[in-house]
Amino acid sequence: MSGEQGPAGCSPGRIERDRSRFVDIVRGHIKQDLKRYVTGTEMIGRKGRHMVSIPVPRIELPRFQFGKNDGGQGEGEGEPGGEGQAGDGNSPGMAGDQSGQHLLEVELTMDEMARILGEELALPNIQPRGKANIHSPSYRFSSVRRDGPQSLRHMRRTMREALKRQISAGEYDPKNPSISPTPEDMRFRSWKEVSKPDHAAMILYMMDVSGSMGREQKEIVRLVSFWIDTWLRSQYQSLETRYVVHDAAAKEVDQDVFYRLRESGGTKISSAYMLASELLEGAFPATDWNCYLFHFSDGDNWSGRDTEKCVTLLRERLLPHVNLFCYGQVKSAYGSGQFKKDLDQAFGDEPQAITCEILDREGILPSIKAFLGKGV
Amino acid sequence: MLALQRDVEARARDAGLDVPEIRYEVVDHRELNEIAAYGGFPVRYPHWRFGMEYDRLAKGHAYGLQRIYELVVNTRPVVAYLLRQNSPVEQKLVMAHVCGHADFFHHNAWFSHTDPHMMDVMASHGARVRSLADRFGLEAVESLIDRVASLDNMVDAGAMAWARGHPGNAPPLHDASGNPRVAPGDILGHMLMGAALEDWQFEILGFLRDEAYYFQPQLLTKVMNEGWASFWHSRLMTGSLLRDAEIVDYADRHSGAMGGDEGPKNPYKLGLELFRHIEQTGTGDLDELFRVRAVHNDLTFIDNFMDEHYCRESGMARTGDEVEQAREATLAALTNGGQPVIRRIEGDGGAGELELEHCWSGSELQLAQAEETLRNIQALWGGPVRLHTRQEGRALLVSCVGGEIAREYGEVVDASAVEVNPEG
Repeated sequence: MSGEQGPAGCSPGRIERDRSRFVDIVRGHIKQDLKRYVTGTEMIGRKGRHMVSIPVPRIELPRFQFGKNDGGQGEGEGEPGGEGQAGDGNSPGMAGDQSGQHLLEVELTMDEMARILGEELALPNIQPRGKANIHSPSYRFSSVRRDGPQSLRHMRRTMREALKRQISAGEYDPKNPSISPTPEDMRFRSWKEVSKPDHAAMILYMMDVSGSMGREQKEIVRLVSFWIDTWLRSQYQSLETRYVVHDAAAKEVDQDVFYRLRESGGTKISSAYMLASELLEGAFPATDWNCYLFHFSDGDNWSGRDTEKCVTLLRERLLPHVNLFCYGQVKSAYGSGQFKKDLDQAFGDEPQAITCEILDREGILPSIKAFLGKGV
Repeated sequence: MLALQRDVEARARDAGLDVPEIRYEVVDHRELNEIAAYGGFPVRYPHWRFGMEYDRLAKGHAYGLQRIYELVVNTRPVVAYLLRQNSPVEQKLVMAHVCGHADFFHHNAWFSHTDPHMMDVMASHGARVRSLADRFGLEAVESLIDRVASLDNMVDAGAMAWARGHPGNAPPLHDASGNPRVAPGDILGHMLMGAALEDWQFEILGFLRDEAYYFQPQLLTKVMNEGWASFWHSRLMTGSLLRDAEIVDYADRHSGAMGGDEGPKNPYKLGLELFRHIEQTGTGDLDELFRVRAVHNDLTFIDNFMDEHYCRESGMARTGDEVEQAREATLAALTNGGQPVIRRIEGDGGAGELELEHCWSGSELQLAQAEETLRNIQALWGGPVRLHTRQEGRALLVSCVGGEIAREYGEVVDASAVEVNPEG
């Protein structure tokens, strides 16, 4: 017996089309006239130990229905467009019922955000390189024990044990099926550690922090890396990130410093590529890791000699090691932008190396599309 | 599975149920959510609101907030969708439950007008809407459906009987001698007779009216239908179907469905208890139950059987006043499926006008929504549309002409309206 046969079967993609049409209306892409009927209701869910509020947007078509009217509306004009709150009489104060519990507002889950990003930019899913030898431990409540905390009590198993005991002791009367568990009948849920094979991935961000990179440029880098992170995290179970900053010399820093640091002075990009090569070769062997390398700069390198050194490092040590090398050139008042031209000349037909110019904030999404559009 | 089905159905028939042919489809979560979103008909016409429903169901499922075990569709043969992941006990329980629904669809008088081939009807509506969308544009078709769907509760339950013996689900628009006959509450019918629309728009309006009349009996018999199915799954399971080892799992599932809300919010519980109440207090023979399931709808069911004895027994109410209140509240929630009754009246405006009256039952219309709905009606109708209702104890006439809304407050009507709702 299967659902596929006969007129009752679902036709593939049909509901997805209706759903994406709905999502488009909610986001205001189409049918602007319905936008005013959109209400933001929510469901209260549980994720781990936290209560989370799951946004469930709805479009409430108007209907004749019973409902309270604000006294204030009174006579006269009365804005008919004031429906906003009108439709959602269903569950006000649901959040309030859960007093004392932590309620996290998740406007969007990260997964959902990544999904939207993926849809918007039509990003292909990444095909991890065939290395699944990292094992990450996780816990599953899949077994049952005789002792445990009351909160993990397994009611059905407990009742079943009691029933077994009563039947075997001849105390069970099918005419009057009452079951009373004794302490020995109690059963509790218990966990097992399972280790799951996983594809390991790491991102190395490098940023030019020389004097010519201003606040706005760093903000753009921060936004681009945030979206890259979000996307790659949706593709890999575990993801390591490392950060390198450079002016004339490079050093590894933590995330916070990466975005705040403002050095001054010259720019020697080769210093960063050298540090990256050492880092990757030392801690992230290509056989085990899917490596992603991002470099952001305003494209004003110290000298042509240094750029040559960069090209050699990339060709010989970095590109063979990584899934992807992306260079994002953020426009600044001072940068000449020469470095991108040099890279394009050297690696123009290399699919693993992608360069992109980001003129301003408008350029953020196209750059992500350029970087991640290949699915490697 | 097949053996299980035969076993369950044989026992249901022995117990007295008239189980028609049932076709089971075993589906996974995604498919079941999809089918539920389409109201049981995966072949339905395309519209974003089904996608919206699916989105909600899918999220609810992803976060473990809700789970659908089964879905029964009123067709011949009855189609029942079962979740593949159900355990054997759950499948057995669900099949017994489905037998109850199938018997109910077949014998309850309020279903007697529904089209037995609804799956095909829905499929042909769907195909036709798709081809109209190809011809006149998705936007145009969708906008029309948006408007009509906003009126899909505007049918006249009293007219359902007229549809018996006629093809389709909706009552015919003419009587036996060919004169126009549209029930006052059948606003969708009035639209078909007099709105200023193109042929293809009339066609879609007709489809949606037909579907509205198909679904109407389910709104009118929710408590009875679920109660009847629960009464029988409980009786069949504990009577003979369950093996001893399964009793605990069964009790867990059963109490899961019966727990939670009281009153009309939980039709399973209220319906089951009332059928048991009838069984225990009546003649004690099942014939009375079968008669009740054949002739009543929720309103008459509650009115007749939710008596003082039941209210006290179930802990809903203690004093006589509380009993009255509980009965009133339950009846109000179920009158016309919980929807306001809006009827067409003879106006003084002439032929091109549509004059509507909200039959006062003690509760106000949600006004902002009512006005938007009126706008939709007017856009379809073409000419001026008026609605008589009440607000804050005064008569209110809302009119819509050319998309513009105007309100006109009238005399204070009887004071009883204010008493019902003290804060009004």
